[in-house]
Amino acid sequence: MRGKTRSAHCLQVLLVLGLMMTAPLLQAADRLVVYTVNYPLQYFAQRIAGDYAEVVFPAPADVDPAFWQPDAATIAAYQQADLVLLNGAGYAKWVGRVSLPRSRLVHTAAGVAADYIETTGTVTHSHGREGSHSHAGTAFTTWLDFRQAAVQANAIREAISRLRPQYADVFAANANALESDLLALDTRMQAIVSAAPDTPLLASHPVYQYLARRYDLNLEAVMWEPHTLPDAGQWLAFERLLKDHPAGWMLWEGDPLQESIDRLQQHGVQSIVFDPCGNAPGEGDFLEIMSTNLRRLDRVFRSNDSGGVFQQGIE
Amino acid sequence: MDSLYLAWRYLAFNKLRTATLVICVTLIAILPLALQVLLAESERQLLARAGSTPLLLGARGSALDLAMNALYFADETPELISMAADEAIATSGLAMPIPLYVRFQARRFPIVGTTLDYFGFRGLRIAQGRQLALLGECVIGADVAERLGIGVGDSLLSSPEALFDLAGVYPLKMQVVGVLARAHSADDRAVFVDLKTAWVVQGLVHGHEDVTRGEDSSVIIDRTQDNVVASARLVEYTEITADNIDSFHFHGSPDSYPLSAMIVVPNDDKAGTLLRGRYLGSEPPYQLAVPKTVIEGLLATIFRIKEVLDAVILIVAVATVLALVLVFALSLRLRQREIQTVFHIGGSRSTIARLLAAEIVIILLAAALLCALGITVMQPFSDELVRVLFIA
Repeated sequence: MRGKTRSAHCLQVLLVLGLMMTAPLLQAADRLVVYTVNYPLQYFAQRIAGDYAEVVFPAPADVDPAFWQPDAATIAAYQQADLVLLNGAGYAKWVGRVSLPRSRLVHTAAGVAADYIETTGTVTHSHGREGSHSHAGTAFTTWLDFRQAAVQANAIREAISRLRPQYADVFAANANALESDLLALDTRMQAIVSAAPDTPLLASHPVYQYLARRYDLNLEAVMWEPHTLPDAGQWLAFERLLKDHPAGWMLWEGDPLQESIDRLQQHGVQSIVFDPCGNAPGEGDFLEIMSTNLRRLDRVFRSNDSGGVFQQGIE
Repeated sequence: MDSLYLAWRYLAFNKLRTATLVICVTLIAILPLALQVLLAESERQLLARAGSTPLLLGARGSALDLAMNALYFADETPELISMAADEAIATSGLAMPIPLYVRFQARRFPIVGTTLDYFGFRGLRIAQGRQLALLGECVIGADVAERLGIGVGDSLLSSPEALFDLAGVYPLKMQVVGVLARAHSADDRAVFVDLKTAWVVQGLVHGHEDVTRGEDSSVIIDRTQDNVVASARLVEYTEITADNIDSFHFHGSPDSYPLSAMIVVPNDDKAGTLLRGRYLGSEPPYQLAVPKTVIEGLLATIFRIKEVLDAVILIVAVATVLALVLVFALSLRLRQREIQTVFHIGGSRSTIARLLAAEIVIILLAAALLCALGITVMQPFSDELVRVLFIA
């Protein structure tokens, strides 16, 4: 009797060991390959899918994914993916110029398409007097409205769950955790702005439209690049804008040139980096970058509330 | 054996008469047989293609035109639908839409604008080169490559729709990036491009110099703060290269862009039935056709025509047999002296009958041999013949 029990135990141990050894293999074979067009989508997809997907965002670190053009080999990799996560809102214009398998494309922002912000000020053209004249654009940094980001994350969960319904519960749990994090950012952002709601702000580039709309920021944008010193015309336009919009802070996408910071300070404008995080950060992840952004904004709004400038230079 | 030898010698002596008789019998036998072979092949081809295509969405009108254009890339373009119809199917969650825009040609081969899903759906494999990646690229079928003598790295020019359309769109020079493995279907005779490239061929998507920055002011008719109107002098690019691809853009809403048809692949039978129900009434401007039913209808018509043809051939065959009988009866009169000689050397009436029967057997055998040879020669080309005669 004892011998039989021992044999049964041995068999059980062998079975468990066998399962443990084959599980990674099975999981690897079952693993989805997901390609994305920007870093936020990569972050959302990886958080939701966990080890059940290899989520790839192949853009080089030094490019703006919105205006990047992948080469033929990279396009071939996108074509082979189980899912290609698009942002929507006209983000990554290269998607319109390449061939991708339509059945595997997911427009993550489709759920908020009715709320897209049409950008103005773009020069349009037509061919002959009778033609259409529209080249109007759409603001595309949709994820900076954290509620919209949650909608995008949910679209990712649905798409991944359709392909691997057996893990739908895992994906739902991960998506809920991600949604909680995003909504926490949303709540915190609202709280920050509520400290001094009408604080005038400037943006170095028109990429904060959804952030401004959702959190009711009093924000005006110029068309500057962080790594380029604005020319005389741009400074002139900036000075005119500043007269009507007396902002004390300018939001930059990336670290600006020291010369730009200094010259802005001469106009009483401090610089702050609010990274939209379109591309993968050198350090940290989406949540950490957004938390840093919010921390910086918090200091801006609190400094404005108390009526003083808390620090010279960039934050 | 003697009868056979004598009959053979007689037929060999009267070569012209024998050849005429053999040709008559061969023709009357080969016609229905060849027709049968071609119809069987056309039935196989038509049904195989139609049977593997669950549903077709197109504008209301002739379902046959829709099926022939979408399945076999026939010249007749059905009334166009828009991308909005494709979006409606995609968002229904019931099926996968595979849009098709089959309207233009390149050196007499149809240009098929579609998405990459089409290749997976039809099980098409790239034999040389790679899959479509960028705007302006094309992948060609095996027949196109063979007949035009082109391959990966060559280019192919789209043909203008109308020869003297001076105000029309410039032909697009497409880069051949891949050649498909032979599929023994209409896909072998097609030039595949991305749907967007098909719209470039039409001029709906185009590229040109930036008119807001261009140095040649003579192309500008009018300029306001937020709009620039360019004249027809503004040259649009006729080849898409790495340098100008960024300038290619849509005019108008992509939802309004045209399609000739759409293959609809339902998730399951229930989804297919639900979708068909949605397009049943007279309200929707589209029809959702079952290609197999449409093609079976076409085949039923073809077979009705075949029955008439069979009847005609039967009548002609009877007339030919009667003519042959007459030829033999007359030849008996002409051969009275030969027959008398046979009697004189001891031959009986049955010997004469055996001689005549042997002649008929030899003629029939020769005709049967020719018939078999003809059918054997035709058989390998039946696939191509059917496509050229009935489908293309």
